Parts: sequence; structure tokens; C-alpha cells
Amino acid sequence: MSRLWTHTRIAWPPVALLALVMAVAGCKPERSSEGPEPAYRVYRHAMDGAPSSLDPTHASNLYANFLAVNLFDTLYRYKYLARPYRLEANLADGLPQVSADGLIYTIRTKPGVHFIDDPAFPEGKGRAVRAEDFVFSIKRHFDPATRAQGAWLWQGRIVGLDEWKENGADYDEEVPGLRAVDDRTIQIQLISPFPQLTHTLAQGFAAVVPREAVQSYGQEFAVHPVGSGPYRLLSFNSAGAVLERNPRFRQEPFSLEAEGFDPDSQGGLGLEELADRVPPFADRIEVEFIAEDAARWNAFIAGEVDFIKVPVSQFDRVLASRDPPTLSPDLAERFRLNANLESGFVHTDFNMDDRQIGYHPDPDQQIRNRALRCAIIKAFDWPRRNEVFYYGIGEVFPGIIPPMTLEFDADQDRAPVLRDLEGARDLMSSHGWHAGNLPVLEYGFPSSVTERQMFEQFRSFMADIGYPQEKIRPLTYATYGDYARAYLNREVMLTTTGWTMDYPDAENTMQLFFGPNAAPGTNTANYNNEEFNRLYRASATMQASPMRTAMYRNMNRMVVDDCVTISGISRTLILLWRRELAMLPDRSFVGGFFLRFADPESAGGEAE
Amino acid sequence: MLYALRKAVYGLLLILGVTFISFVLMVWFGPDQTYTLVGKNASAEQIAEVRHQLGYDQPFMQRYLDYVTDLFTLRLGSSNASGEQVSRILARTVPVSLALMLPGFVLGNLLGIALGLAAARRRGQWADRLISALSVTGMSISFLVIVIALQVLLSTPYGLNLFPVRGWQVTDLPSYLSYVAVPTLSLVLVTLGYNTRFYRAIFVEEAARDHIRTARAFGASPTVVMWKHVLKNSLVPIITRVMFSIPLVVISGSLLIESYFGIPGVGKVAFDAITSGDQPVLKAVVGLTAAAFVLIQIATDLLYRLVDPRVA
Repeated sequence: MSRLWTHTRIAWPPVALLALVMAVAGCKPERSSEGPEPAYRVYRHAMDGAPSSLDPTHASNLYANFLAVNLFDTLYRYKYLARPYRLEANLADGLPQVSADGLIYTIRTKPGVHFIDDPAFPEGKGRAVRAEDFVFSIKRHFDPATRAQGAWLWQGRIVGLDEWKENGADYDEEVPGLRAVDDRTIQIQLISPFPQLTHTLAQGFAAVVPREAVQSYGQEFAVHPVGSGPYRLLSFNSAGAVLERNPRFRQEPFSLEAEGFDPDSQGGLGLEELADRVPPFADRIEVEFIAEDAARWNAFIAGEVDFIKVPVSQFDRVLASRDPPTLSPDLAERFRLNANLESGFVHTDFNMDDRQIGYHPDPDQQIRNRALRCAIIKAFDWPRRNEVFYYGIGEVFPGIIPPMTLEFDADQDRAPVLRDLEGARDLMSSHGWHAGNLPVLEYGFPSSVTERQMFEQFRSFMADIGYPQEKIRPLTYATYGDYARAYLNREVMLTTTGWTMDYPDAENTMQLFFGPNAAPGTNTANYNNEEFNRLYRASATMQASPMRTAMYRNMNRMVVDDCVTISGISRTLILLWRRELAMLPDRSFVGGFFLRFADPESAGGEAE
Repeated sequence: MLYALRKAVYGLLLILGVTFISFVLMVWFGPDQTYTLVGKNASAEQIAEVRHQLGYDQPFMQRYLDYVTDLFTLRLGSSNASGEQVSRILARTVPVSLALMLPGFVLGNLLGIALGLAAARRRGQWADRLISALSVTGMSISFLVIVIALQVLLSTPYGLNLFPVRGWQVTDLPSYLSYVAVPTLSLVLVTLGYNTRFYRAIFVEEAARDHIRTARAFGASPTVVMWKHVLKNSLVPIITRVMFSIPLVVISGSLLIESYFGIPGVGKVAFDAITSGDQPVLKAVVGLTAAAFVLIQIATDLLYRLVDPRVA
């Protein structure tokens, strides 16, 4: 007994210490976000990724854009509740005045808008936002020193802007097509009509920054944002960002009508309570970057965050039904659900630059290659892909116009996304393909379990038409950057990517297959069809119209007929938030703009 | 003095060796950040422009020399991804990692030593077998499983719901203890198996030596034998293990712990730099880890001489 006691005594002090720590700490601390005033409203938002920079010139991904549009002002934004998405003036004082030829845009900004107070300004007082600030902000995208990522939006479109860059990017040098007419008037002169211009001005890339702050903080402006948005930054690191209401943000009462409220589909969310109140409604926003699905879900269930995009691994737990997606009864007492179709799609492109599968100087071989691509597409089992990886609630569609765009044709022929093994085998045999002469397919993907599973599933689909397994090889890359380098250098035969649209206009997906955009551009298929290119050029300068829609659909058919891509699926995103919150979150074009309308208190929270 | 000087020269050579290997593996063959920094529809000229800015177009030797020069002059530069000065990133994140990892590190080692001693003392008996079996079990369970299980058990309504699932809003001692408790417990559970096995092996070996038998023959109690003779004479390998773990705790942190618990430490920063190819951050972390290892090695050698005068 005494020997055992000796043994126990050796181990006891650290155990006792641990127990003591647990006893002392064993209660959840009041989060510091619970502010001193009773009415202090805190909204805690979980994101499944993190931005590395808050500089609007680097707002190239969902996460960076989400924060940028809250810290800075853009001229335009999307109406909070209107579906389909519609533009709304933000910093601008109304929609732009466009000349009859569609080349000159004149935009007035709202009066009395100020940047937040910051030491970068004289006496630390934020000055008024001027039209010149917008001009400066767009010029930054063309300054090589900024290493900006948004120049592609305006490249080759604004008179004199590309030349400004070539001449050394001197900010004191005027750009003829990008001028501040006076403190509140911006004039943009285009080289040719660009109907999507106003959409580009609703992106984080186009956010307005003050020159003195950029000069004062240099590269660190990326972690020290100074803007005029509804919120200002309190802290930012790899785990999250904390934003506080900008007390000088303009006073614009919330109007249900102006935001496009639909009582039938949006009633019961507590939004009616917000009418005539002045956003932003939350005093503080805590955005947590939680990439790990399990950690994100646990944080949500524990009440540490108010909103999450539900990981697919939890769909079984969350959903009572799939079509339409509804919330399971036990969760419905505490949470609300919104099922959003993503504003984009996932597709697998053939590298048309590869002679084994794409274009070939020999016309006969070119026809055989097309037949092989079409056979592969016919063998692809979209329902299985949807079921295994997207819980069966993604929307499969033929071609490259995603379902959430206005130009989508719900009545189009769905044969290209229906599995047809017999047809695939016939196509191969009639063009002389057999197991012995099929080319080795190299399927690229960044290293991850899910990507590997998708590859294996693809290989199993192909096995069903007699494609030998050893002839479908994985090309694995350590990081997405390495993968991107490979496919942008045309080294990958089959490239799977997801595209998130920049604006709600199918032009944004059409350009993915426009010949001159071939890699290193966004046309990773390196597709080059003269007729497609001609139609793209013609439609690119047209305003939305039935004729333009018909042209897009025609181009869509060309991509389908040429068997350029295995496409596609738009994923359904399941968004979940606490019932007490009066809001309608969005991961699409409204994106971060919804934060100013998120009200942590008003909804009441009664189960329906 | 001569001893320390000799060690410093060896250390310098070691740093050069480590920096060279890390440069080759992580920088030269590491991820190319160009394609994550350029925008959509970038032209070949724009890609070349970014490559030039990042120095990717420089020859191997030039890049290595720049790398070493920057490191030795502590010119750490700014992160390519965020633009923030690397020195500020480290100043912000290293203390967090230290505060996060230290309790688990200390407890894991203390418990490991205690259990190792207990097992060694009862070698072959049920207590030894039980401790060994639990150690192997602990070693076999994935870190991820432990982290997720503890989160669910201690931090969610499915379990006790006592601690925050994640975050690091540390303002005072109670909030620190609250945020550090579950990560510490995870770390202790993960490392305890390895530590116990290691220390047990050392103590068993030491307990079989002649001087222990002599002590027993002189009638020393089992407790005195274990504490005064076995533990004291095992200090050299214990110091080695503890000391060489310190740079990893201070600089590299723990990626999994920081990721799953949402803690803004240096481990996450280092991991992001490795996967994205953010070379200024990467070379600072790798270089400082190498330097810390060398300093630790020198300190360890000096400590050896302190606890064992026979070490020349």
C-alpha cells in the first residue's frame, strides 16, 4: 500500500495543478465583445477562410472582399434583398449618367462622407472623401509597386489608363479617361462600351482609399485600413478580425422597399423591424476565420459565433429534407436556414492546347480527339458526383451559364449532363479508340483528400467505358499555387476549378472560354473557337437584352458541342444563423454588404 | 571560454548548413507565390513583373546570398501576402504561442517524468504494464481526434460546455486559464504517451546500473533511489529532450492547436507561409528556429557540464 502511495504521490502534483486550473478556469469567460453598454450589439460571423490582406487592391477572394466592402466605401453595392441581384448607389449619389454611345460615365458622389479618423490625416481627423480619391484608388491597380490584383477589370477599357502604367505610374499624371471633374464628380471615358462597368464599381477592388493613408502606411496599409465604410478595424490576425461601427458613417435610413424586400419569401426573418432605422445595426462585428469544419461547427453549436456556412459533413445533421432544404426540427428552434445556390460553378476543363486530347494539326485526329472528349463527358456521372460530394443538393446544368444568372436557360437540352455509357462506347469505337491507343490522361489537383477522392471517382467513371485505370494518372500539387502555376502554364491535361462570378452577368463566365483569355488568362481550357470569339466580342459591348441572351446561349452551345469542358455544377450553400438575428446573409454578390444590415437583436427568435 | 567559442563556431556552421538546406527545400523548390499574387487574366508580362518583384528571376546563388545576408543582418522585410513587417508579425505571434504552449509543454514533461519513474520503479509489474499500455494508446490516437473530442466534451452543449471552443481574448488570468485549458489538455494528452515511454526507457536503463545496485545494497529506500540516484543521473538525456523541444515551442508553435482553437500564434503564420511560399516570413521563421537551436545546443552543453562534471 505504501509503495503504491509513493507511486501515486509522484504523479499527483501535476494532476492536482491541472485540476486546479480547470476549476479556476472552468467557466466560459464573458467575451470581451460584450460591451459596457446594455444595448451594445455584437454580431459574430464565421468564415471558412481568411484574407491575408485588407488592401482593396488585393481583394481578389471572397474573404478579402467581404471585409473590404465594410472597411471601405464602394461607389455601388447590391441591394440587400432584391433577387435577382440589382445594383444600388452606395457612395455614389445615384446610378451613373451614361452617354448615348455608352462611352462616358459620369458619377456624382454623396456629400458629407468622411474617412475615419486616423493619424495619417492632419490632426488625426478624417477628411471628406473626394472624387480624386476614387481616381487614385483605381490608378493603384495599375501601379506595379502595389502588386494589385484587380487591374484585369479595367485593363484595355479606360482611355489612357494602360498608358499611364507604361509611362511609369506617376500619380500626379492625369489619365484622360479617369478624371475627377470636381470634388464630387467622377468621369470615366471608355475605349469601347463596357456594360458591366457599374458592376465592377461594386467590388471591393473599386473601394475608395485616401492617398495620404496609403503613403503613410506603405505596404502595411494592408493591415491598417483607413476607409469610409460602415465599420473600422479594431484588430486583425490569422484567427479573425474585429470591426467597430464607424460613428461617422452616413445616416441613411433602411428602406425595405428600396432594398427589394419580398414579404412572401423574406417575411418572418424580422427584417420588417429594421425599417427606418439607420444602419449599420451592429456596434461591433467579430469575424472569425475557421477553416476547419469541425471547429467551425463546434463554435456555432456552442454559441460562440452567430452564423456559419454549414460544412457538407454536417448536412445530414442539419437538414430534415433536401428538396427544398429544410432545417431539422431540433435546430429550427434555435436557428434559421437559407439555402443559396452559389454564384458560380465547378467544372473540369480539357486542355485544348494538348494535342493528345485537344486541337491537332491533322483534321482527322482533331475529330477523333473531339470524339474522345465527348465520350469522356458522356461517361461522367453527374448525379453520383453530386450525391457523393455535394449531398445531392447541388444543381447540375449543361455548359457554362450557371443557374443563378438571368441568362440561364432552364429549358435547354440536358442530354450533355446525362450519363450515356452506350453512346460513349459507340463514339469511341466509331472513331477508332480502344484501350490500346487511348492517351494517358493526366488529371491535376492540389493535394487534399477530397480532391483525391474526386479523381478516383472520375477514374472509376472512365473505367465503365473501358478506359484503363493506369492510363488516368493523378498529377498532384502540394499547394493551390503550384497547381495554378501548372495549369496556367498549360501543363495539365484535365483541370478542375471552381469559378465564383464577379458580377451577375453571364459575360463573366463567357470570358472563361474567350480565345485571347487563354492561359495564363482565365481560359484554362485554352479554347479558341473563332465564332465563339466573334460572338463574345459582339456581345461584350451590348447592354442586357433578349438578343444578347440569345448570343450567350449560342456560345454556351458551342462550348457544349465542342466538348471542351465537363460542366458543370453549382453548389448549394447552407447558411445557418441564430434566430435572434434579423438578417438575410448572403455569400454571393451582396456578400459583405449585408453586414451593415445584420441586427443581432430584433428578430425575436420564436420558432416558426 | 574556449569551449563556448568552439561551440559558437560549430553553431555558426550549423546555421549555415540549416539555412542552406531550408533554402533549397522551402525557397528554391518551395511554392511559387506568383500565381496567387497576380490577378485574373494576367499577361505573361505581368507575371514576369511579379516574379521579378519577388526575386524569382535571380540565379540560385544570388538568392541564397540575399537570404543569408537578410538573416544575419536581421533585415526580415515584409510579408509578401499581407505587407506587414515580419518583425511585427513575430512580435505579435511568438508571445501568444509561448503562452499557449508552455503550460502543456511543462505539464507534459513533468507528468511524463513522474509516470516514467513510477513505471521504471515497478518494471514488469501491473503498474508498469498499465502505464506502458496507456502510453501506447495515447501515442496511437490522432492529435486531431483528441482535439475534436476534447472540444466536444469540454466546450459544447453536447458535453460539459465549460470552456470556449476557440479564440484568444485574453485580458486577465482567469480568461487566460479559460482559453488555455483545453489546448493544454490536448497537448498533454498528445505528448504524454511519447514522453512517458521515453523517460521510462531512460530510467529503466539507469536503474540497471551498478551504482543503483550499490545504493540499494547500502539500504537506500526505493524513493531515495528513484529521486536521488536514478532521476539525478538521468538528467543529461532529460535536459537534451526538454531543451531541444524549446525552439519548436517558441518559434514553430503548434499548427494544429492554433488552427483548431483559433489562436493567432506563430505556428499558423509559419504554416501559411510554408504553403503559400511567403518567403520573407518563411526565412525568418526557419532562420530564427535554426539560431534558437544553436543557442539551445550551446546552453545544453553548458548545462551538461553543470549536472555531470565528467562531460568535457
